[in-house]
Amino acid sequence: MTDPTAPLVDVRGLAKAFGDNHVLRGVDFAVDRGTTTVLLGPSGSGKTTVLRSLNVLETPDAGVVRIGDVEVDFGALPQRRRDVRERTARLRAQSGMVFQSHNLFPHKTVLENVIEGPVQVQGRPNDEAVADARELLEQVGLAEKADQHPFELSGGQQQRVGIARALALRPKVVLFDEPTSALDPELVGEVLAVIKDLATQGWTTVIVTHEIRFAEQVADQVLFLDEGVIVERGSSAQVIGDPTQERTRQFLQRILDPG
Amino acid sequence: MRHVLRVLALLLVALVVAPLAGAGSAGAATDDRPVVRVGTEGTYPPFSFHDSDTDDLTGYDVEVIKAVAEKAGWRLQFVETTFDAIFAALDADRIDVVANQVTDNPERQARYGLSDTYTYSRGVIVVKKGTTGITSLADLEGKTTAQSLTTNYAELAREAGAKVEGVEGFAQAAALVVQGRVDALINDNLAALDYLNTTGSDAIEITGDAGDEVSQQKLAFRKDDTALLQQANEALAALKADGTLAKISEKYFKIDVSTENSGEADLSGGRAVRSDADIVKDAAWPMLQKLLIATIPITVVSFALGLVLAVAAALANISGSRVLRGIARTYISIIRGTPLLVQLFIVFYGLPEIGIDLPPWPSAILALSLNVGGYAAEIVRSAILSVPKGQFEAAATIGMGYWQSLRRIVFPQAARTAVPPLSNTLISLLKDTSLLSVVLVTELFRQAQIAASAAQVFFPLYLLAALYYWVVCAALAAGQGRIETRLNRFVAR
Repeated sequence: MTDPTAPLVDVRGLAKAFGDNHVLRGVDFAVDRGTTTVLLGPSGSGKTTVLRSLNVLETPDAGVVRIGDVEVDFGALPQRRRDVRERTARLRAQSGMVFQSHNLFPHKTVLENVIEGPVQVQGRPNDEAVADARELLEQVGLAEKADQHPFELSGGQQQRVGIARALALRPKVVLFDEPTSALDPELVGEVLAVIKDLATQGWTTVIVTHEIRFAEQVADQVLFLDEGVIVERGSSAQVIGDPTQERTRQFLQRILDPG
Repeated sequence: MRHVLRVLALLLVALVVAPLAGAGSAGAATDDRPVVRVGTEGTYPPFSFHDSDTDDLTGYDVEVIKAVAEKAGWRLQFVETTFDAIFAALDADRIDVVANQVTDNPERQARYGLSDTYTYSRGVIVVKKGTTGITSLADLEGKTTAQSLTTNYAELAREAGAKVEGVEGFAQAAALVVQGRVDALINDNLAALDYLNTTGSDAIEITGDAGDEVSQQKLAFRKDDTALLQQANEALAALKADGTLAKISEKYFKIDVSTENSGEADLSGGRAVRSDADIVKDAAWPMLQKLLIATIPITVVSFALGLVLAVAAALANISGSRVLRGIARTYISIIRGTPLLVQLFIVFYGLPEIGIDLPPWPSAILALSLNVGGYAAEIVRSAILSVPKGQFEAAATIGMGYWQSLRRIVFPQAARTAVPPLSNTLISLLKDTSLLSVVLVTELFRQAQIAASAAQVFFPLYLLAALYYWVVCAALAAGQGRIETRLNRFVAR
């Protein structure tokens, strides 16, 4: 079923409710291979839930998520828990996740954080994983921090390790959940620079962020969510530069001109 | 971590192999004589006590039962326990005979198979020197006496209208009398004379007889064990006839207490009065041995098993399954809501009645492990919950399953939170092993009791026991500090 021209990620009819709170109410979008997609929207719009659904950190109530050739229809999950786990695990393995608050493993060194998944989960040989990890740490500018523990690093450095950890799994898609929101302003730049770098290297990424200027520069596709639906979509020039929807305009104005 | 595991594994192996090896060597000689397990206090001189030089179990009753075994063709196994646990042990088939000056009375006649008499003695009333007005049973009305609760003498005191304080043996009762905490005690004339003789004490005195009756002491068997009883009676008759019984008696009492009206006993030739320093010096090594071969291994094994139970209960308690949660919560609630002593009695004396008959050590370890598991479960649960949710999520996103993320990500971090309270649990456990004498395990404190009763001296021996416990606990606390430092090294301060 893999058609090289088909989108790498395909999301159809995603819905999710926490009790009476309908967070997602039918979200559809596709992500092409090698592109950067940015999810924008006010808090509570559902953008983080969409991202977490791709990684099955949230289990949607309905909808289909396909990444590469792994597809899960959340509206028609099998009865047995073990079958569900097996399917969602396969979908989860298609993506890597970078968290808002890095969530590095504090008891492991930087290098150990990066190789944990490849060695322990994917069963790759230690030497190979270490060589790979060192290369990734080089790429995010932290080669010399390999043997330190996360608490010895700055927030920006920690987040860059988080990115290296996600990349080490060799995922098809890298997901970013507000990767700079928890950082001091002067540290934001170094992290965004690394993410921007990924785009030029051909990684496929989906990013939830409030950094509008950054989105404008890197996004091939911008999705604006509000109240659980995609209100507006298009290139960054269209959605950020010349929004057609009133809600999008108001949001952008609030973010860009908070005074 | 790996070292700790290795040490634990070795200890486990040692624990399993050691008793087997012991059993093997005992059974190595082709010996088809039946094994008869003898219950005795080991703390009731001059009848049943440990020689202060050799630490061997000896005494009048011990020598008598050995002589009986010789004639009857039995192989003996001595099991030492407090008198109040002795009949429970007999009922639970943990021993086959009690050789501990069991006085004949109608209740015991009805319930047990009692042998022919091997000691005639009389009960006496003992008070603090200088006390007036307590010279007979009638004077005990409204007074307080100290007795082992299940003895015939306790019954006599109750019938006389006295309030009875429970103690673990004669020496303790005597100490309470000396300290003025009780008014009197009733005990065997011979035991009282032995006390006066070995302590050189003039703090207490015998003021009168407890009734006119001569009491008769016998071996007690289970009622249905008629074969053993018959063999014992034949042996006793033979021993009386050939003068062996008289000889044993004269060694301890200068008279033949195995016959009636033998005259006044004289124990002055018995064990000499010893100084506190000598008593402590003699007891120090046996107590240290018990610390090393009983107290510490039982603590280590129970703690390890208890931790496994605790982790299982904690995981069940935070799991999504209502059934598992219910089981875990019930278990934790029962363990925390009942005294350890009661749990020990249930495991050791209760379970045999429903067919689960574990020897002393496994019983002790089972009860202690269950106890530790119940207490530590809440510690482990809160430690797991103290690990940020993001850590579980990060583990999930790199593809880890439930067990893998627990093992590699969650437990190492939870350990930081869990170590201080778990160290408390471990230290409590070590001290709780001092209760194990009730399930016939001779550990450090029981050894102290044995030494104290033989010497009739408490204070220095209990101090020594306290010192041993304290040293081990201090070492544990130091170890806790080192582990905490290790676990904290990844955390910014």
